[in-house]
Amino acid sequence: MGGITEMTIGLAHYLTVSAILLVLGIFGIFLNRKNVIVILMSVELILLSVNLNFVAFSAFLDDLAGQVFAMFVLTVAAAEAAIGLAIVVIYFRNRGSIEVEDISTLKG
Amino acid sequence: MTWTLALPELVLAIAGLVILVAGVLPKQETFFPVSMACIGSLLLAAVLVLGQPEGTALGGHYVADDFSGFMKLLAIGGAAIGILLSLDYNTKEGLGRFEFPLLMLLATIGMMVMISANDLLSLYLGLELLSLPLYVIAAFNRDSARSAEAGLKYFVLGALASGLLLYGSSLVYGFAGTTNFDRLADAFSADSGVTAGVVVGIVFVIAGLAFKVSAVPFHMWTPDVYEGAPTPVTAFFAAAPKVAAIALLARVLVGPFGDLAGQWQQVITLVSLGSMTLGGFAAIGQRNIKRLMAYSSIGHVGYALMGLAVANDVGLRGLLVYMAIYVAMNLGTFAVLIAMRRKGRAVEQVEDLAGLGRTDLGTAVWMAVFMFSMAGIPPLAGFFGKLYVFLAAVQAGFWTLAVVGVLTSVVSAYYYLRIVKVMFFDAPAGALDPAPASLTVVMAASGLFTLFFVLWPAPLLAAAQAAAAALLG
Amino acid sequence: MFVGAIFFPLLGACISGFLGRWIGDKAAQWSTVICMVLAAICGSLAFGQVALSGHPVTVEIVTWMDVGGLEFAWALRYDTLAAVMVAMVTFISTLIHLYSVGYMSHDETPSRFFAYLSLFTFMMLMLVTADNLAQLFFGWEGVGLASYLLIGYWYDRESANRAAMKAFIVNRVGDVSFMLGVALTFYVFGSIEFDTIFAAVPQHLEDRFGGIPALELIGVLLFIGACGKSAQLGLHTWLPDAMEGPTPVSALIHAATMVTAGVFLVCRMSPVFEYAPTALAVVTVVGASTALFAATIGCVQNDIKRVIAYSTCSQLGYMFFAAGVGAYQVAMFHLFTHAFFKALLFLGAGSVIHAMSDEQDIRKMGGIWSKIPITYAVMWIGNLALAGIPFFAGYYSKDAILEAAFASHSGVGMYAFLCGMIAAFLTAFYSWRLLILTFHGAPRADHHTMEHVHESPAVMLIPLLLLAVGAVLTGYIFAPLFIGEHEHGFWHGAILNAEHNHILHAMHEVPAWVPLAPTVMGIGGIALAYVFYMLAPGIPGRLATAFRGLYLFLLNKWYFDELYDAIFVRPARRLAMVFWKTGDAQIIDGMPNGAASLAVGVARGAVRIQTGRVANYAFAMIIGLVVFVSLFLIGR
Repeated sequence: MGGITEMTIGLAHYLTVSAILLVLGIFGIFLNRKNVIVILMSVELILLSVNLNFVAFSAFLDDLAGQVFAMFVLTVAAAEAAIGLAIVVIYFRNRGSIEVEDISTLKG
Repeated sequence: MTWTLALPELVLAIAGLVILVAGVLPKQETFFPVSMACIGSLLLAAVLVLGQPEGTALGGHYVADDFSGFMKLLAIGGAAIGILLSLDYNTKEGLGRFEFPLLMLLATIGMMVMISANDLLSLYLGLELLSLPLYVIAAFNRDSARSAEAGLKYFVLGALASGLLLYGSSLVYGFAGTTNFDRLADAFSADSGVTAGVVVGIVFVIAGLAFKVSAVPFHMWTPDVYEGAPTPVTAFFAAAPKVAAIALLARVLVGPFGDLAGQWQQVITLVSLGSMTLGGFAAIGQRNIKRLMAYSSIGHVGYALMGLAVANDVGLRGLLVYMAIYVAMNLGTFAVLIAMRRKGRAVEQVEDLAGLGRTDLGTAVWMAVFMFSMAGIPPLAGFFGKLYVFLAAVQAGFWTLAVVGVLTSVVSAYYYLRIVKVMFFDAPAGALDPAPASLTVVMAASGLFTLFFVLWPAPLLAAAQAAAAALLG
Repeated sequence: MFVGAIFFPLLGACISGFLGRWIGDKAAQWSTVICMVLAAICGSLAFGQVALSGHPVTVEIVTWMDVGGLEFAWALRYDTLAAVMVAMVTFISTLIHLYSVGYMSHDETPSRFFAYLSLFTFMMLMLVTADNLAQLFFGWEGVGLASYLLIGYWYDRESANRAAMKAFIVNRVGDVSFMLGVALTFYVFGSIEFDTIFAAVPQHLEDRFGGIPALELIGVLLFIGACGKSAQLGLHTWLPDAMEGPTPVSALIHAATMVTAGVFLVCRMSPVFEYAPTALAVVTVVGASTALFAATIGCVQNDIKRVIAYSTCSQLGYMFFAAGVGAYQVAMFHLFTHAFFKALLFLGAGSVIHAMSDEQDIRKMGGIWSKIPITYAVMWIGNLALAGIPFFAGYYSKDAILEAAFASHSGVGMYAFLCGMIAAFLTAFYSWRLLILTFHGAPRADHHTMEHVHESPAVMLIPLLLLAVGAVLTGYIFAPLFIGEHEHGFWHGAILNAEHNHILHAMHEVPAWVPLAPTVMGIGGIALAYVFYMLAPGIPGRLATAFRGLYLFLLNKWYFDELYDAIFVRPARRLAMVFWKTGDAQIIDGMPNGAASLAVGVARGAVRIQTGRVANYAFAMIIGLVVFVSLFLIGR
């Protein structure tokens, strides 16, 4: 359409985006002081970055294994999210709160 | 058809599904029969593992060799005894739901897949199949805030760890061009040198696996989860999954990354040093005995990793022997901890053991045997576990590891012996309820093993030797 | 069969020790007895196959340890020497187990007692079937440990605890020397397997260690170790005190196991000793001196078990000097016959004590022979055998020992012969003194005790009768095999007599008066005892006053305990006080206390990181990750 940009999006770009997503996800886990749900979202973010990596590498290497891997990761991530939410529900029932700061009665 | 090689896993998976259906359908609670069925299936799987031929299958994703056989038997044994340990406790604590043994069964399939993984993909799937049930059973006591917190913590950190592992896998895949272990090994054996991407990937993978074995600095979840989870769950955590994760770590590092040993050795050395030191010191002030055992298990992992850091056949043999002995001692110790009930309520402080030598001599003697063994006092089994890794480290010139190992085991002897002292010399804190037969049997079995390992070490050594040889190829 | 003889006792010990609480005392007792019976059957069969049919075997069990170049298999070495010991130990121990069922019937924790007893037997069997010095040492220490447990079995008695400690410590003194001997053996031969050592002896005749011939040094070191176990002069002080244990324990320690371990060791190492003439001379002198010394003390002791204990000490001296003059076969033969009659005497004494309501002082006995006729009869048999009266077991072996000593024609041999002769006289004397004071004369116990004197139950009498048969017959039956014409085919090279050693032939060619002399001495001793204690009971008392110094000297066992107390114990204690006051309180305590507080400090720090917050945990993981990545990248 526009067709005039010379810039092609190469592997390095994908990897950079993915790395940024990973760092965001990690920071989401340990900088977040409010809500456990945010942590769940951060975990999803990390998995997203992984998938991006796999798909990008798969295209770059012209090898399907990476995409298959990504499919598996997606599936497992769904299961993981379900279990995570279930545990959060149990936790909320017991404590009446999902503040991250509160999850610290076990220590020492 | 090569899939028949994976018969133990397949049989166990089908058995798991059948038991699941059979457990749901009846009106009344089916905890006990389901537990028995699970133990039965595990034993069946163990028999199949014993008869398993060697080879690779499923498009190179799955490998069976002496190493996988050794570790699988250990993991299956740990899991079966784990279920046995939970029978009485769960019934008394109102946790007697059939999902519990079933989840343990599913986790065991995950462990077996991990142990036999020959591809980053099967590694990941096995790891997740192990982790997901573990998250659930950590939070299995739904009405306990502590259990829920343990589950939540384990889940959050576990998800982070598996995210790191996956990220590492993707980097390795991208920069080496394959996820298959054999081909990875080929790729790294060429002198072309490794790119920074692969190196970062390997570290991420190590981090993900180190989390599962709870090695410093990825150990932080361990004490909290051990303390919060129901005691049989803790017993399970401390035994079988640790074996599987150590097996995986050894296979990944020695197999595909074997030619980069010079580089990961220092990381494993650091991890081992850190774990031994933390395990030695942090447990000193603990009052909750489950928490104490958590730190103790971190220390033990440090000793076992010493064998991996050496990365030759002697070291790996030491690692395998150590894990086998560790599992036996640990199951025995937890049998005692699970038996700690007073007037129908579970107690878990060190002081609750006071005067056990006078009120229940049998249990106290077994516990003393386990504590002495963990402290590494000859001629108990724990001493030989340490001896074999220390010797390997000394022979290979890893003096720092050996010296720190000896020093920290002296330090850790302090808290193990303190438990013995509390049991035999402190005034009784009231008698504990008599231990049920299932626990006594486990105590006696692992106690006898710990006591008399010195007489027949050869079979275990030979098996470990063969397994190590298989791993080094 | 070979394995069974060794491991049935262990099985029994495990059943009784670990399961005793669940299966009940009765079941625990009888299961150990059954295990012992099975072991005894296996042991006898093994004896038949190995010794009588002449098929020595080595049963390999497992490779025991394979660490850093030090590899040794765990194997059971069944040659004639081991087979004799196994058969004897299992047989005697079985009878003692059986006897204990009766003797310990009033005890509170019989399952513990039986577990110890079986464990003790197992360790002894381990010792005698060892095929290398490490395994022998394992059994050696195991026997020491088990004897400590058994002597201190009545742990609520102060004296029992003291005796157990004493036995343990004195044995440790011997063990140090034993360990040095093993270390030196390893240094010289590069191996601790018996076969390798024995085969290599000829190459090492000239080896020296610190200017001393190495073989001599090894011999002497091992012998000092043997002295500790076998209670020879100097290290004998624990043995009489060990009488604090229950009587069956005394019988086991003094007859079948433990004390014979030293003699066994010397015989086992005969290929080394044969080339160490000086060490053999030491063995002879110490053995002969012990034989005489212990016999003199035995004459004035008043505790029935102590008299027998000193007689054991004295008989062990005989065995040692027999080995010292090179007649190992004769030493083993005396060990074998002695096991029967000494077990008989101890168990008989136990039966007397049982009858006398736990009275052990022979001055407070007397006049009970008609009330316990069977015990009386077996005590007679035991004493006849001990005194070496013809055709009882002791006659054959003791005569042979004295003949061997005479036939050796050396200075030390003649010394041993003289000591042995006098000791034979004294042995007969104190044996009959014991017999007469215990059973004859007017009752000296109080009325109440006398009313209760009763014969022991059948379960105790059967072992006594069996042992009595042994005490009568073993000498006659086995003499041709052990030391007679079939000797060579019997031992099958289990004991080595070097080229220059013809003692076994020479001992048959001594002048005619030599074989007769011990018998004359024995009868003389008996006669003297009759005169002193039956015909003219006033004499001993007058003699004691006349030679008061000598009497006290003997009564106080040559003041050995006092001497040790003054030389070792008190200075050690004073030194310990000094160390405790200055060293321990300030330095030793200071260091661990400092280290401990440091450890606690580190522990607090380590625990402080564990905040309980998920975020911090994740942060730690990431930091670790970053550190490792950078390490990796830098190290690349």
